Amino acid sequence: MADGDAEARIDRALVARARVGDDPRAFEQLLRRHQGMVRAQLRRLLRGDIAAADDLAQETFLLAWRKLDQFRGEARFSTWLYRIAYACFLQARRKRSWADDDDGDEAAEHVPAAMPAVDLQMDVERAMQRLSAAEQTVLLHCVQLGLSHDETSYVLAMPLGTVKSHATRGKAKLNAMLAAWHPRAGEEKTP
Amino acid sequence: MNPHDDDPIDALLRAQFDGPVPDDGFSKRVMQALPPRRRRVDWPVRAGIAAAVLTCWASLQSAPVLHEGWSAWASGRLTASAMALLLAIAGMSLLALWWSVAEGGEA
Repeated sequence: MADGDAEARIDRALVARARVGDDPRAFEQLLRRHQGMVRAQLRRLLRGDIAAADDLAQETFLLAWRKLDQFRGEARFSTWLYRIAYACFLQARRKRSWADDDDGDEAAEHVPAAMPAVDLQMDVERAMQRLSAAEQTVLLHCVQLGLSHDETSYVLAMPLGTVKSHATRGKAKLNAMLAAWHPRAGEEKTP
Repeated sequence: MNPHDDDPIDALLRAQFDGPVPDDGFSKRVMQALPPRRRRVDWPVRAGIAAAVLTCWASLQSAPVLHEGWSAWASGRLTASAMALLLAIAGMSLLALWWSVAEGGEA
């Protein structure tokens, strides 16, 4: 947590330098510090479409540069960037037509109890794809990107209660689907 | 952090996540595409402040309370108008202080 606070302080100092001193090198440091996770977030949201994710990541940072005056420090800089990236993703999705498989709710209910255990990674990936889009998005931000529920709620512009219920439901479904890999966890988590 | 740090599902999901993407020239490309930042235009604020000060001065110039307060204050008498003048100055100073602290904190 202390590391996170120190990182946040460094970000705030760099933002102040970029904003007040109009210093592009400070912004470049911010870019280098955060590009990896923003691009990872967008790659996940775009289901591995690397080129489109990088285009959106570039758009995200250009927007951040233009809107730097609007960053008031209420959230961490990284969280603010995730929010811009998610907004860019939503806007792009409205314009283009990426597959938005939102049929996971029903699919998850009828998953076979024991999946063919070819590879755990692949099974986790497949299980994730069976979740609803909202559950996938919430779990991506809450678990994989390491944001708190509050931060996820801020990034996705979603009520906190909805974030929590998507996270709980998504995990319960994953637990059921991946019970073959850890039977004890599957038994414990059954609601 | 979330209260599920030791959750096996969390561990599986984290293990499945590839983590940060290596830069591979991305930052350089973005920096080259960066437009010059529009400098904040501050003349409207300055003009507004000047207009407000002039309007205040013009409207208070004919007010007797200001003259009375000023002359009482200058002669060391604590009359009602001098108190009103002092309170107004103190209030404006406090507002200016609060604004400076708030702006400084955000920067």
